[in-house]
Amino acid sequence: MSKIIAHVEHREGLRIESLDFAYGESLILRGIDLAVQAGEFLALLGPSGSGKSTLLRLLAGLERPTSGRLTAAGDPIDGPGTERAVVFQHYALFPWMTVADNVAEAVHKAHPGLARSERRARARAHLERVGLGEAAGRYPFELSGGMQQRAAIARALALESPFLLMDEPFGALDPVNRAKLQDLLLAVWQGSSPRPTLVFVTHGIDEALLLADRVAVMGANPGRIIRDYPVPFARPRERVALYQDPGFQRLREEIAETLDADTLTRLDANPEAGFHAANQGARYV
Amino acid sequence: MPPTKELAMSSQTNVLSVPLDRGAVPATRSVVRQPRRRRLSGFAWEPWALAAILLTAWQLAGQALAGEGNPLLPPPLVVFAALRDSLPELWRGTISSFLILLPGYGTALVLGVTLGLLAGTTPWLGRAFFPVAKVAAPIPPTVFIPYAIAVLPTFHLSATFVVFLGAFWPIFLNAAAGAAAVEGRHRDNARVLGFSHFESLRKVVFPASLPHIFCGMGVGLGFSFILLTVAELFGANAGLGRFVQYYADYADYPRMVAGILYTGAVTWGAMTLLEQARHRALFWQR
Repeated sequence: MSKIIAHVEHREGLRIESLDFAYGESLILRGIDLAVQAGEFLALLGPSGSGKSTLLRLLAGLERPTSGRLTAAGDPIDGPGTERAVVFQHYALFPWMTVADNVAEAVHKAHPGLARSERRARARAHLERVGLGEAAGRYPFELSGGMQQRAAIARALALESPFLLMDEPFGALDPVNRAKLQDLLLAVWQGSSPRPTLVFVTHGIDEALLLADRVAVMGANPGRIIRDYPVPFARPRERVALYQDPGFQRLREEIAETLDADTLTRLDANPEAGFHAANQGARYV
Repeated sequence: MPPTKELAMSSQTNVLSVPLDRGAVPATRSVVRQPRRRRLSGFAWEPWALAAILLTAWQLAGQALAGEGNPLLPPPLVVFAALRDSLPELWRGTISSFLILLPGYGTALVLGVTLGLLAGTTPWLGRAFFPVAKVAAPIPPTVFIPYAIAVLPTFHLSATFVVFLGAFWPIFLNAAAGAAAVEGRHRDNARVLGFSHFESLRKVVFPASLPHIFCGMGVGLGFSFILLTVAELFGANAGLGRFVQYYADYADYPRMVAGILYTGAVTWGAMTLLEQARHRALFWQR
């Protein structure tokens, strides 16, 4: 036991050093420096166009940086890998496989030697963890968006990866389902040992503060990290109590002002770009 | 956690409470499909009305011509009698034709899908194949028939080859298009799940390309029948095209028309089977 804990404490997280990313002529991300501790829950918060999803894709290894360095657990990231599980915004299950088979693919990657029946059983156990045991034999098109996203989370968990990357995973859900899935994610993440290092892209300040240990606020044109806020609230966090906490409200205001200030700066520099950004900014407050 | 789960389930009861298994048609889909099934099983009266009008016109025209001693348009009743009498011969012809069609089409299917998926996913193979395909695919395969018959040792082989040529290009091009059009999210998922190239071909690219592949299979099957019957007009000693050609030579128009009708029915049957296979394989498409 002590051995395992020692191992956990020495785990390395994710590190991004002076990263630039350009798409053709346009610079999407500039000068990103970011370190995520092992077992930490980091939220990447920013308006559209701040490159937060691109940054997550870079961490996933789905894109290559124009310059700079990314490492996971000390190893350079030079492509996708199963040690970094990804959940996308749009339920990206394979529609021609049952939910259980989708998850079983991940089980197979985590434990290549398993017999088919054992793979099935483990896939089912992962589905039960997200409250989808009943739906194991169904196809994705038979499930609601929230259920598909649960299955996508189960599939990511089944990889048993030390890193979990989530790209606005609840962005397409209705508020009730979003709240349920936020609670589920917190329960699952807190219930894991060791806890995976989690990077969660969102444009909701409340969501970021409810879930994360730390919020990296990003600005746009080009995308960059403008500030880093530790989230001091004790876990487990209870939504209603948290939202009423004056400390929460203060931090929420502060982050909103940071986002607004960035928008206004851009408004001075380029009124037209700023106008669009201001419109977007209003959504995040 | 339990309340969360309960809520999620109760909001889904209408979907979840329907007992389904993998083979069953899901409730939501059967609703969507209903109008289509009605049409397939022949509840619509319009096609029957049109068929009745055509048959009557045919009967009247045929009778009138026959009255003038002109045998070129035998009336339907005469044709149906000829069809009934020729069934054994037509059946033998069908077998002979399918012994050409199946190997030719089957080879085209296997090679077309394999090479198409590879060319659609492997840049250098794509660069090798697509310019060649651009030049070769539009050549009407019928022009190869005399050459194939002259060059290849047996008629069976030449006809099989021509059927293969006709079916290969549409299947190949559609499979390649399908492989190239696999949605980015499926490709991203295959990559983050650590699928190897072969694994992602088998588990992602192939199923995702099936809509395109079936489209190519349909076009290819149509071409196959055209090429098969045309080839048989040239040099076969059995088969559906040969049947028509043979009785045309002897001016036995009732049998000839019966052969045309029969060939049409066989083609329609094969197309229907393919359509059913498509429907089954693409159950996951909304």
